[in-house]
Amino acid sequence: MPLLSLTVFVPLLGAVLLVLLRPSNARAAHRLGLAAACLSLLGAVGVGLRGVGPGFSQVEEIDWIPSLGSAYRVGVDGISLPLFLLTTVLFLVSLVFSTRVTDRTPAYVAFFLMLETTCLGAFVALDLVLFYVFFELTLVAMYFIIAGWGHEDRQRAALLFFLYTLLGSLPILLGIIALYLGADPHTFDMRQMVASPPLAGFAGALTFVAFLLGFGIKTPVFPLHTWLPAAHVEAPTAGSVVLAGVLLKLGTYGFVRFILQMTPEAFRAAAPWVATLASFSALYGAFVALAQTDLKRLVAYTSVNHMGYVVLAVAAAAATTEPRVRAVAIDGAVLQMVSHGVVTGALFLLVGALQDRAGTREMGAFGGLLRGMPLLGWAFIVAAFASLGLPGLAHFPAEFQIFLGTFGVWPLAAAITVIGILVTAGLYLRAIQITFLGEVGERWRALPDLGRADLWAVMPLLAMALMIGVAPGSLLNVIHRTASSLGP
Amino acid sequence: MTGQLAQMQIGPDLLLLLPALSGVVTGVLALGAAMFDRPRWAFWTTVFGLLVAGALAIPLLGRQETVFLGTYRIDALSTWTALILLPATALVAALTRSEIHGSDREAAIYSLLAFTTTGALVLAGAGDLLFLVLGVLISSLGAFGLVAYRRDARGTEAAMKYFVFGSVSEAVMIFGLTFWFGAAGSTLLADLGGLNDSRPPALAGLVGVLVGLGYKAAITPFHFWAPDAYDGAPTSAAAYVSVVPKVGAIFGLAQSVRDLPDSVVDWRLLVALLAALSMTYGNLAALVQSNVVRLLAYSSIAQAGYFLLGVVAVGRTPLATQALIVFAAAYAAMNLGAFAIVLRVGRDLAAFSGYGRLAPVGGAWLVIFLLSLVGVPPLAGFFGKLLLFGAALDAGFGWLAVVAIVNSVLSLAVYLRWLVPCYQTPVSEHPVSSGGRVSAIAAALVVGLGLGVQLLLARIQ
Repeated sequence: MPLLSLTVFVPLLGAVLLVLLRPSNARAAHRLGLAAACLSLLGAVGVGLRGVGPGFSQVEEIDWIPSLGSAYRVGVDGISLPLFLLTTVLFLVSLVFSTRVTDRTPAYVAFFLMLETTCLGAFVALDLVLFYVFFELTLVAMYFIIAGWGHEDRQRAALLFFLYTLLGSLPILLGIIALYLGADPHTFDMRQMVASPPLAGFAGALTFVAFLLGFGIKTPVFPLHTWLPAAHVEAPTAGSVVLAGVLLKLGTYGFVRFILQMTPEAFRAAAPWVATLASFSALYGAFVALAQTDLKRLVAYTSVNHMGYVVLAVAAAAATTEPRVRAVAIDGAVLQMVSHGVVTGALFLLVGALQDRAGTREMGAFGGLLRGMPLLGWAFIVAAFASLGLPGLAHFPAEFQIFLGTFGVWPLAAAITVIGILVTAGLYLRAIQITFLGEVGERWRALPDLGRADLWAVMPLLAMALMIGVAPGSLLNVIHRTASSLGP
Repeated sequence: MTGQLAQMQIGPDLLLLLPALSGVVTGVLALGAAMFDRPRWAFWTTVFGLLVAGALAIPLLGRQETVFLGTYRIDALSTWTALILLPATALVAALTRSEIHGSDREAAIYSLLAFTTTGALVLAGAGDLLFLVLGVLISSLGAFGLVAYRRDARGTEAAMKYFVFGSVSEAVMIFGLTFWFGAAGSTLLADLGGLNDSRPPALAGLVGVLVGLGYKAAITPFHFWAPDAYDGAPTSAAAYVSVVPKVGAIFGLAQSVRDLPDSVVDWRLLVALLAALSMTYGNLAALVQSNVVRLLAYSSIAQAGYFLLGVVAVGRTPLATQALIVFAAAYAAMNLGAFAIVLRVGRDLAAFSGYGRLAPVGGAWLVIFLLSLVGVPPLAGFFGKLLLFGAALDAGFGWLAVVAIVNSVLSLAVYLRWLVPCYQTPVSEHPVSSGGRVSAIAAALVVGLGLGVQLLLARIQ
């Protein structure tokens, strides 16, 4: 059974059904969406149970454009499988959280399901054209979600998001074409690109730059991050969850799959520069987050910080010649992607829940919320602790390995970047103190706590954050299978 | 000369020309129906005749030869032009009927469509300087009539601009071509290789061709007529002029420079510069339009620039021919589709406010057309651009590919300016029509040619 393809396309099927049936009441639309997302999650679990070997596993292939050496090829390895699972989880909880949406519900759910298919497809595509198709379509779906259901200034934010990230994806297209022309015989097969990177020298360097620009915007890395705060602040809550949890991972996934695996030579030469940028980006994200008073912007900027660590680890993996160090760095990078998806997803949901209730996200307006809404408060505190890297929660094992791997290559860079963790700790503690501790403001006494749908959305994520923190072993095993076999 | 004539095999040669000849016959029959004032007959004759003519091109797929002593080429470019432009003209005829149905002179317009398309086919198959001139003239004369169809002041002004500009450009082209003829000693394009050490005449001829065909294809800086002509013409005529003569001219340009040695004059660089200029100017100018017909006029100037990426690479990579053909098919479908929506909704950008919410189906078609024009996968426009970028890179014009992607981002801004209001809350609940049949067909083609691009590629050598 082509389980992988079914998992990818079940959400799209749901979207098509929604468009055709146009259920008139919102609940029916939500149910259909939840059913599709559940099926997709089950499929992903099935894919996970089938497991991965050292190379690409569970490959499914159909001829598509043989004249160009392009085919429908999908498959998973230790890098894409965790992200594949993460995607199905985050979409399901986003849709659970979204059950309160009543404005043009069928269209809303359909866009989310379409976005799910494109994200899943991008992670498992083994053909460059197929990858690009999925990658680019994520923009279209996300654009419509932000423009259609975002907050006040959504049109401008959606426009900026679309233009900016298209500016990123087109260099990727050029890089893809360059790889195609460099391969002999011409092909778009990613397995072949990974097995024997076709470009060396100047062409390889140009392709590397194109990919760096494209995936750097997506990730985002300073100074290419300026689209991110606007998009996050204006996106609906579930949109932010998917944007931070899944779409940013497309950028870091590209760093591993494309930049590291397909242009390794150029990456090695430029690794110190990329590491400098990544480490600056991590610190910049942390310090700018520290200056925020809007909770959502704060969480958005910590993404820049966390993604900076990921890029730093990938750069270290590119620079080192020691397979063990490389494996540790990649293990950490991929685990960090998953952890960030889970934890930041939870944080965005909680900030969204708070905004729905209070109508504002300004820290200064709040105070003592823990007393009135203990569930929301404690959930936020746990998620914040996870985000700042407390041992026993999701980010700790990931960041530990990232810094371990980086320290083996550039001790100074690792030491400087670690400051970022201190800053995030400070900013989260400050946010918790201002928002949830202290005197309860009169306005906030009557606010309801998290409802059932909210709990169903948030609690699984917190449970996963705990599981990854306490027992990252099984996930690391999967990642390690690929990370340990990455070529020199 | 008599010996050569004896070598000509008129019968088999005519068979190879059947698509173009059927186009002429269709035009004549439609003209006959017009003389009896039977627009319905003229319409159905045209649609049926054009589709038959297109079907007659199918057996020619894969053939690579010349007819009439090398003056007309039967190759991938000319055959595919017939396969793309003849059905596209049938679609335009349907658009025209919905726009001007019942007005006087309706019947005549169908025969003009058929004749003009034949001119575009001749251009794309030209193997000789004279065929090049003939193609430009045939496709111009009919198009003047189409643009001037409305006898009001704007229509007249539009047609005047189109005509005057056209006459001058065509004169320059013919003048330039005399240099090629004089230096090469032959009117055959295949003999241009003989220009080996005569740079000035080679350059003069090239400039002539670029002016004449650049005017036909609305390439900057020969585009000045286009926005006014589109705006003054009936919408369906604008749709037609933006697609059929343009594709014919671009393919004609590819045919004429193919055999010109680039060691004598660097025509690749010259065409690449025009491409960059056309894309950038077209997109920047489109960015400030508030009339969607003018917006589409400038966007089609930019799209002509993308087309030129394929011309730049002609002869250096097999991707060039594939790129030109796939992009032509995609462009015809998406541009006609967009014009079909304009025909239903109106020319004012403000008229589109809330359109997507009031007419979800028509809105969805418009999204498909405009995203395909940007080059969003998996729509047909994406594969056209993928091949064009690939052709440019393979031919050593990486910088041009970079200019093209920056322009793609710019073009997204252009089309989003149109799409964003479509999904805002409607100003009034005025009734709007849905997309209509033509746009539904075009949308199916844009999606189908995208996902099924292999169907085309497998049949292009």
